[in-house]
Amino acid sequence: MRKPLSVLLVLLVSVAMVLAACGQGNSGSGSGSSSPAASPSPSPSGSSAPSPSPSESPKIDYPTKAIELIVPFAAGGGTDAVGRATAEALKKELGVDVVVVNKTGGGGAVGMQDGLSAKPDGYTITVVTREVVSLPLLGQAPFQTMDFRFIGNVNRDPAVLVVPTDSPYQTAEALIEAIKNKPGSLKFAASVVPNYYGIQFAEAAGLDFITIPFNGAAPAIVELLGKRADFGIYNPGEVKAQVDGGNLKPLAVMAEERFPGFPDVPTFREIGYDIVSGTYRGLAVPKETPEEIVKILEDALAKAVEDPDLIAFMENSFLGRQYMDSETYTKFIEEDIKILTPIIEIAKQQM
Amino acid sequence: MDSFVQLLQGFATAGTWENLLYCTIGVTIGMLVGVLPGLGPTTVTALLLPLTFGLDPIPAIIMLAGIYYGSMYGGTITTVLINTPGEAASVITALDGYPMAKQGRAGTALGVAAIGSFVGGTLSVVGLAFVAPPLARLALEFGPAEFFALIVLGLSLIVGLMGKSLIRGLIAALFGFILSLIGQDPITGSLRWTFGQPHLMGGLDFVTIAIGMFGLSEILIAFEQKTEAGAKIAAKIKGLLPRREEWRPTIMSILRGTGIGFLIGLIPGSNTVIPNILSYTVEKRLAKDPPRFGKGAIEGVAGPETANNAYCGSALIPLFTLGIPSSPTIAILFGAFIMHGLTPGPTLMQTDADLVWAIIASMFIGNLILLIMNLPLAGMWARIALIPPRYLYPVVLIICIIGAYTVSNSLWDVGVMLVFGIIGYLFRKLDIPLAPVVLTFILGNLMETSMMQALIGFQGNFLGFFQRPISGTLLAVSILIIALSVYSNIRNRRNLLGGDAEE
Repeated sequence: MRKPLSVLLVLLVSVAMVLAACGQGNSGSGSGSSSPAASPSPSPSGSSAPSPSPSESPKIDYPTKAIELIVPFAAGGGTDAVGRATAEALKKELGVDVVVVNKTGGGGAVGMQDGLSAKPDGYTITVVTREVVSLPLLGQAPFQTMDFRFIGNVNRDPAVLVVPTDSPYQTAEALIEAIKNKPGSLKFAASVVPNYYGIQFAEAAGLDFITIPFNGAAPAIVELLGKRADFGIYNPGEVKAQVDGGNLKPLAVMAEERFPGFPDVPTFREIGYDIVSGTYRGLAVPKETPEEIVKILEDALAKAVEDPDLIAFMENSFLGRQYMDSETYTKFIEEDIKILTPIIEIAKQQM
Repeated sequence: MDSFVQLLQGFATAGTWENLLYCTIGVTIGMLVGVLPGLGPTTVTALLLPLTFGLDPIPAIIMLAGIYYGSMYGGTITTVLINTPGEAASVITALDGYPMAKQGRAGTALGVAAIGSFVGGTLSVVGLAFVAPPLARLALEFGPAEFFALIVLGLSLIVGLMGKSLIRGLIAALFGFILSLIGQDPITGSLRWTFGQPHLMGGLDFVTIAIGMFGLSEILIAFEQKTEAGAKIAAKIKGLLPRREEWRPTIMSILRGTGIGFLIGLIPGSNTVIPNILSYTVEKRLAKDPPRFGKGAIEGVAGPETANNAYCGSALIPLFTLGIPSSPTIAILFGAFIMHGLTPGPTLMQTDADLVWAIIASMFIGNLILLIMNLPLAGMWARIALIPPRYLYPVVLIICIIGAYTVSNSLWDVGVMLVFGIIGYLFRKLDIPLAPVVLTFILGNLMETSMMQALIGFQGNFLGFFQRPISGTLLAVSILIIALSVYSNIRNRRNLLGGDAEE
């Protein structure tokens, strides 16, 4: 009786260990992966052997071991998808494992803070999102935006104004007109609070509408389809299914240029409102990281974003690609601090 | 019967050796994921999603869906055996499943859970196959006001779970409510009770609390028993099947669980815990002798375990018909569709009908595989209950710690779990029931959010709740239930409070 029981016990513990290891989030390491699904599937990651980059700077021997990539949001979200695709592509460029670790909590603050307090040796990289700007401005983060050294941007998605297809407002102008005529009565189903898209829309167009906040785009879209709200502002990936299915109609895009996925939809600038907003995801390391390491990572990322697997994955997932190098990205972030500061002041007053 | 022919074609597709293989892999991973507390199907489907990129869409989605419903089977195992919920959906099962294990009936609890899961899972897939489109429109009618009314209804039923003393039950319920307030205000985004701690910004995690309060406190209580003689372990394992006189109530509770799970699954924004809570409370209300609940009532395992599997099938209806992911795991399945160039929603049934039917057929097959795996395994797992505590509890402790760690890959959650283990221990010593804490914790947040969302929509008018047909009806029923409880309380004080959720 005793023997089989102890075997069972050992089995239980080892299963627990394996699963816990899965939770650590490696997943992509091809042949070495613990999941049985990895072996039969010719995953894009496992197919190509890591090729050591020949032109490595002689001064510093980096990288020599696995790099940890912190994703400050849960597995399964857009940030996680971008992080994993980037990790796979970086692995090919750097010749070492890039292991994704999801460190959730604090709307991104926990993971980003973990990334900042790691040793500045380039072996811990953080995926940063727009929250790297907004959380410090809100006073909800223990760090400052510029504590990071930004390596480069990978993904950028504009915000899209949508209405139900059978809405009485078939253009952005008509909707804005209607909101102006009936101040404080039209309803905006927001996917997150505080909602910078909504605030920016209201401020730039001088509008007064009701914001109903939801936890994510899906329940907000249900509110729209159920005719309990009049319009919504989301990212393209969140509305693609509904736009394709003919349930939602995009009216205008908050971007400098038209969004390739919705070529017929005008930008806000085209219709006379200077509204540019959206979300972005890039990589960053602590400020103290040596210059040579930043340069190696920047070069690797520049090549990684051209990786065909990454491109295919991002396109399939409806995630927009927009690479920026370290200098451009840092300027972009500084610019976004200026854009978000007045918006967050308004958000704070509404709290 | 057009759909019937299509379903047969779906079986032909799902029955190819490749798809069968991926279905088996999926449900097996799902079951293992369910066994380990903390690690949920959402995380694992997300981790495996990139690996399916090289696969065809059909095997990829068959496998990911298998993880999703397979985890509902696995979650029961740790819950029943070591009082540590393997999955959020299994928390309710702990109330009666663990007492059953203590009586040597772990095998029966697992057996009934497997059968109920199979029945619930299969019937809800039948619903998914044949009645999905008309039901989908109902889902859109379910806004925040209706959601609020549903939770009020749930809470009005929960009064019966309060335990021996109404005051102690209320203390527990309010404690859970207060815990649910921690974190970001769902309406304004401002921070409440976070004390500048970023880990608290997103609130406390339900699974972490449940692991601590149920699993760890069980170990702490066991420490008090000096010798092994004190810690009573089951002498031997009784059969996998219910006793003869238990069959009828068990079957009835499985059928009721199927109905409840199926209906709740249609509601966007719901989760697997809600059907379980409702099913448990309904079973307790309908039972001839409610005090039995909490001491190993078989209906208390059969109903909820069925409900969460029925939920899984019908929760796919909003995805297939409207393109709306109604829970986090389904959101990842949604991502899998998009990644493979498919758009879930009304057009999917027209453009890729063969794919949809293959997935539906694979869910029949997957549920059957799970039943075949689980019934014999139930006997094997049940033997864990025979392991002397001095060997078992260290392992349970390890599982609790690993489980809490995997919630967000940080020691923070391990600390939270330990704190709640101590709180759970103190509550047990003070005879305060644990169930209301976790129930109001999970419902409190949903209730607050949906009430505020609805009120914003009604521009502050509380009467709005009664002006919409579904929410008005649900609230009227809740008021009726509360009124009847008060009435019966006046007539017979002992009756209302007679039911104990816990010892």
